[in-house]
Amino acid sequence: MDDKAKIAAQGRWLNRLAMADRPLLAAVLGLPLLAGALLVTQALVLASLLHRAIVEGAAVAALWPDVLLLAAILLIRIGLGAFGEVAAVGFGEAIKRRLRATLVGELLGRPPVWTASKSSGGLSSTVLEQVEAMDGYFTRYLPAMVQAAILPIAFAAIAFSVDWIVGLLFLISAPLIPVFMALVGWGAEAASRSQAAALNRLSGRFADRLRGLVTLKLFGQDEAETARVRLASEELRVRTMRVMRIAFLSSAVLEFFAALGVAGVALYVGLTFLDLVNVRGTELTLAAGMFCLLMAPEVYQPLRLLAAHYHDRASAKAAVAAIEQELDALPMAATPSTRPAGATVAAGPALVELRGVALHDPAGRPVVDALDLLLEPGAQLAILGASGIGKSTLLEAIAGLRTFAGEIRLDGRLLGEIAEPDLRERLAMLGQRPRLFAGSIADNIRLGRRDADHAAVRRAAQQARVVDFADALPQGLATPLGEDGLGLSGGEIQRIALARIYLRNPGLVVLDEPTAHLDSATEALVLDGLAEFARGRTLLVATHSHAVAARMGKVFRIAGGKLLPAPKPALVRNVGAA
Amino acid sequence: MKAILAFAPLFARLKGAMLLTLLLSLVTLAAGIGLLGLSGWFLTAAALSTLGSVFNIFAPSAGVRGLSFIRILARYGEKLSGHDMTLRLLSDLRAWLFARLFPLVPLARRFGRGDLVSRLLADVEALDTLFLVALGPISTAVLAGAAMTVVLALLLPGAAVIYAVLFFSAVLLVPVGLVLASRRAGAEVVAAGAALRQAVLDGIDGHQDLVLFGARDAAVASSDTAARRLSAARRRLGRNAALAGAMVQILAGGALVGALLVGFVALEAQQIDGPLLAGLLLAIIASFEASAMLVRSATRLAGAAAAADRLQAIATSAPGIAEPAAALPVPPGGEIRLEAVRFGYDPAHPVIDALSLAIRSGECVAITGPSGAGKSTIAQLLLRLVDPDAGVVRLNGADLRHVVGAELRRRIALMTQDAPVFLDTVRANLRIGRDGADDAALWQVLEAVQLADFVKALPGQLDAVVGEAGRTLSAGQARRICLARTLLSQADLIVFDEPTSGLDFDAESALLAELPALTHGRTAIVITHAVVPASFDRVLELRAGRIAERAHAPA
Repeated sequence: MDDKAKIAAQGRWLNRLAMADRPLLAAVLGLPLLAGALLVTQALVLASLLHRAIVEGAAVAALWPDVLLLAAILLIRIGLGAFGEVAAVGFGEAIKRRLRATLVGELLGRPPVWTASKSSGGLSSTVLEQVEAMDGYFTRYLPAMVQAAILPIAFAAIAFSVDWIVGLLFLISAPLIPVFMALVGWGAEAASRSQAAALNRLSGRFADRLRGLVTLKLFGQDEAETARVRLASEELRVRTMRVMRIAFLSSAVLEFFAALGVAGVALYVGLTFLDLVNVRGTELTLAAGMFCLLMAPEVYQPLRLLAAHYHDRASAKAAVAAIEQELDALPMAATPSTRPAGATVAAGPALVELRGVALHDPAGRPVVDALDLLLEPGAQLAILGASGIGKSTLLEAIAGLRTFAGEIRLDGRLLGEIAEPDLRERLAMLGQRPRLFAGSIADNIRLGRRDADHAAVRRAAQQARVVDFADALPQGLATPLGEDGLGLSGGEIQRIALARIYLRNPGLVVLDEPTAHLDSATEALVLDGLAEFARGRTLLVATHSHAVAARMGKVFRIAGGKLLPAPKPALVRNVGAA
Repeated sequence: MKAILAFAPLFARLKGAMLLTLLLSLVTLAAGIGLLGLSGWFLTAAALSTLGSVFNIFAPSAGVRGLSFIRILARYGEKLSGHDMTLRLLSDLRAWLFARLFPLVPLARRFGRGDLVSRLLADVEALDTLFLVALGPISTAVLAGAAMTVVLALLLPGAAVIYAVLFFSAVLLVPVGLVLASRRAGAEVVAAGAALRQAVLDGIDGHQDLVLFGARDAAVASSDTAARRLSAARRRLGRNAALAGAMVQILAGGALVGALLVGFVALEAQQIDGPLLAGLLLAIIASFEASAMLVRSATRLAGAAAAADRLQAIATSAPGIAEPAAALPVPPGGEIRLEAVRFGYDPAHPVIDALSLAIRSGECVAITGPSGAGKSTIAQLLLRLVDPDAGVVRLNGADLRHVVGAELRRRIALMTQDAPVFLDTVRANLRIGRDGADDAALWQVLEAVQLADFVKALPGQLDAVVGEAGRTLSAGQARRICLARTLLSQADLIVFDEPTSGLDFDAESALLAELPALTHGRTAIVITHAVVPASFDRVLELRAGRIAERAHAPA
């Protein structure tokens, strides 16, 4: 897709977001227009008051009712404006909330290997910052746009009915207003684009250096870099200001027309009063002249408002582009995860068959090629091999977490044909980097089975040797964990993750390096617990611990893209272990 | 608010530019008020003039035209000088931040997770527009209101008091009230935003576990709950702002209606003539322009104050690693000894414990082990990014805690796991390793890491701009740039923390195999999870914070 079509598609996508809530959209766009209509009545009442007081010499007592009327109009107009603003905020918030739900659903709907290949900071910032950057487009830019398109012409038409010369003065600009808008749009957009580009480049550099702060310090670049940051900022300032000098001319053009409107009306009306100009058939009253003068700035006000909010459009578009880049596509609507009515889930130990399986690692390097493997129900198998050789990739494929060529069958059914919830019930897996979530240790274990009671959680925690360290904590299993399990060691995190699995009843248990972070004494205890749980289940473990392999029924190793049988290591303690 | 004052020296440097901007925005506003007021006076006077009476048309029409042009020019000048000043302030602020941050490196662990960099960027931006969107408009409004009060006091004294009370309530009381009333909602927005980020990060980082346990929908729902909470807080803030905006307008309307009544009474009493009254009323309407953006200004001011607080908190925190009071000289050579070292970010859970190891000068040693075993911690200990809780780290016998930071970094170079390629030229990227290295040296090191042909093919060669997370480079090329930079340094000891992360298997093996030759004559410590080639002198395996094996892995 070429750039223009892409940008147009992004614009349509933004508008589709706005159209999702039509009644609220109508309020957001309509209320400011109503307030604008009241502006006309307000000017009429004020002009007539001045006329009656100054020209007709009406007594103050006689003017009271109209003063009250003026106050009432003012209040209603302000009220409408405030309601419009509140509606706009609600409108924007509703859109952002829906969009966030859509984005999170989209992210988590993709395969976990996709999310793992992206930076989590970048992904989370699409959901937070980029969505937030669209706020101004819905709450400010859209209403300003509609006002600018309607109000100036409407005001000019009303002025026309009061005095045709003044109306003409406004109406001469009426056909020009779209031209002004294009001019302003062009000027303001060019200005905001060049400024945004310059600032982005500068911020990019700044952020770049901030992220590399450690490297800069390690190479003793502290002072030199501080000086360079200032120099780069200064250079860009000079260049930006050169562009700004031209870009700000567009706002000067608007200012020029606004001033011209006021000055033109004042001079024309004044000269008519003095009879120096007489193109009207009838006498012009002060009320009519004053009304025209009061309306003059208002004709151009909507355009100024639009110019002030034009950058909101640019930042929304930039945000849409950033989301598209991060996700490779613009998500449409929340996709409810499908839950097909699954066939009955098999019970007991699972049967696993691999036929002609070929796998590539994320870098495209083949891991295994034409792999055949049969795991009889209840079999216990270890796969040995150095880290990075592709054990995890194979395990992830068997757990249905990544794509592969060939056939993998679970209980005789092709992996792709098993409904997701059924697959998860039948198979439990411990990944290489299990993640703890905000909450207590018990909450984290309960991820395995959310309705598990306290006793069941405790049992699982005992079996996985979590209680060994948890009971030493003041709150035991109820101890809240910091971000990312901060404060726990790698081995402790792994044991919590094992306890999750022990809460479930899978026919196939797949474990990736379950004891990588444990010393050999703890490892032996954890393996006792595992043996107990794995009885009557099929077990597949990737490891480079000989202690783990020694307890399995069969041992294989991956080498040269093949799975080769390996001798079972004798159960000895690790060399050099304390 | 107090924290903003701490930035006063930075603002003081731009006093002239600020005053100019303020003056120009006052002129803009005054010309607008004058234009509408003069027009109103002229129109009414013309309407009242009887046929045949002499009316000087020249002066008012010249005034109307003159004020129009003054307003146009002043607005243009105000925009230019305001933006110029903002950009100047931005570069000052950035330099200020850098100078403050360097001594605090490493930052991440001390200021929490989440994206510290985006937080800093947002805070700096909130401060640099402080004058443009907050202080400037507020000062302009206050000054314009004062001037208008004086004019009214002279011409329509009865209205002056009403105007002053209502206008200054609008300019000062409403914004202050808004900031106070929105404090809780503002804090809730920050908290809800953090909760949403946590929920989203939990979902992304724990994606695999969520899928494995069939908890994906629950995660989507929990982030939606956080998003709803954020929305609700923002709605509250929005309602407050709309209410405050309406209050400002009601007060302004009140000032108009009040002046109207007072004026009519004065007119009846013949204390003021019609044209002057019309002119004054229109001037009052024009003066409200100053209060239009006040609510936004007040919100931004509050935001800037919070940003200033956060930046000051960072700027004034003590560096994590103390420089030695009395510096010891370090004997030449690259010999390293760790003696019974213990370290943990949480002392109750040491990452490494009672760790002792010795690496002789000139050795090339690999340290392997599962992630989380403490490999990177050794690198950080060697560069004093952290200090041990117990035990000693020695370089050629000298306790690192007694070595000046600059000297230590001259003697030991570290290529970190996430070493970046900076958004800059190849030359600048390499010279970070050795200031002022000449082109011959640069080509030589590029040759050594097998990048010379690639750089020769780039447009501009050494002057080609690379970077932005190495987008123009492949992962392997980016790592090799960082490697070249590190090799260029003249340190006696070079530490490589996962130098091959992000590389495919072949590139990884090739690069690792070359390392011993590339660092020949210097000590090299290579932290890696990959298969260690036979060209290394030794392999140490770290397990659960201890050296568990000393064996050469089968290559």
